Amino acid sequence: MTAVLQLLKRTQPITPETPDEALVRRAQAGESAAFKALFERHVVAVRRFLRDLLRQSDLADDATQETFARAHAQLVKLTDHDRFKPWLLGIARNVAFEARRVRQHDVLEEEDDVPDAVIPSPNPESVLLDAELEKHFTEALSVLSANRRAALLMRLDHGLAYEEIAAALGWSLATVKNEIHRARLKLRAHLLPHLTGERP
Amino acid sequence: MSRCGRTQQLEAVATGEAPVALATELRAHAQHCALCRHELNWLESETAMFRQRAGRDEVAHLWAGVASRSGLEAPRRWPRALVAMAAAAALLVLVGRVESPVPSLAVAGTSEAMESDALMSPTLFFEAGAPCSKLPLGVGFQCSQPVPASFLASR
Repeated sequence: MTAVLQLLKRTQPITPETPDEALVRRAQAGESAAFKALFERHVVAVRRFLRDLLRQSDLADDATQETFARAHAQLVKLTDHDRFKPWLLGIARNVAFEARRVRQHDVLEEEDDVPDAVIPSPNPESVLLDAELEKHFTEALSVLSANRRAALLMRLDHGLAYEEIAAALGWSLATVKNEIHRARLKLRAHLLPHLTGERP
Repeated sequence: MSRCGRTQQLEAVATGEAPVALATELRAHAQHCALCRHELNWLESETAMFRQRAGRDEVAHLWAGVASRSGLEAPRRWPRALVAMAAAAALLVLVGRVESPVPSLAVAGTSEAMESDALMSPTLFFEAGAPCSKLPLGVGFQCSQPVPASFLASR
């Protein structure tokens, strides 16, 4: 009976509305099309996350493939089926850190010289991320330590909840909040001159 | 961050995660609270920048690498030996048709086995009227008129 139900589930078409949870279960049952659907759904985010961590496109490409290969190999271990994305980004972060070990010029730890004063705020409606601002944005991210950057990206770019970030990074909730807070202040201090038209 | 203590709620407003009622309430509050307004401006600017940055990547080519590392979709290629055999077979058929229509052959009954058994096997013979000169070398055959094995051996 269970086998029949599984077969029926397998024959259900995969659509954009099929939730991650269902795809994870089907992929765990050995349906490669379900895993490919998960790949297609998350590859852009994973690749961007890795490029932000590694700051090199070819390394990010390789790390992206390695991330999904590991995810496929370890998928049976995922019990929180609805938490595929945080789990996947956790793997991506580990892959990036392994790749980073061979690169010596990355920021491992940064000085905690975060500005304490209130930084003037931009007008969100006028923020246009043109090529120049994107360059400064990428630079601002690269100033952050890899761990802090990973936490900030998970929250701001990939929409993970603080609890999900804590689980993915193996940190306490308080640490996650503190790291993201500090990362934000640094990012803002770096970006402000470019957002308001001033130049440092 | 907002010293009004609502940073996380404001963040939920900026990202669209907050329920509509809460978002409306917080936006109204931010109109009168400079700290929250400032924070919300930043949060919405950050969100806007990240969103504009997203979706510009080309990643379709990455699946092949994942599939090969995971053994999900091995490249579907015919084995070279099979391709070579198929090509050779096709060539033989083609050449055979172009050169001449090969007369149909039939396996001889065991009772009519010729002396040529010693040279070739199986023993074949042509239908009546088929010219013996068309027969391929090295194949056992028998014309409508029996051919002695000595004649075959001489060829």
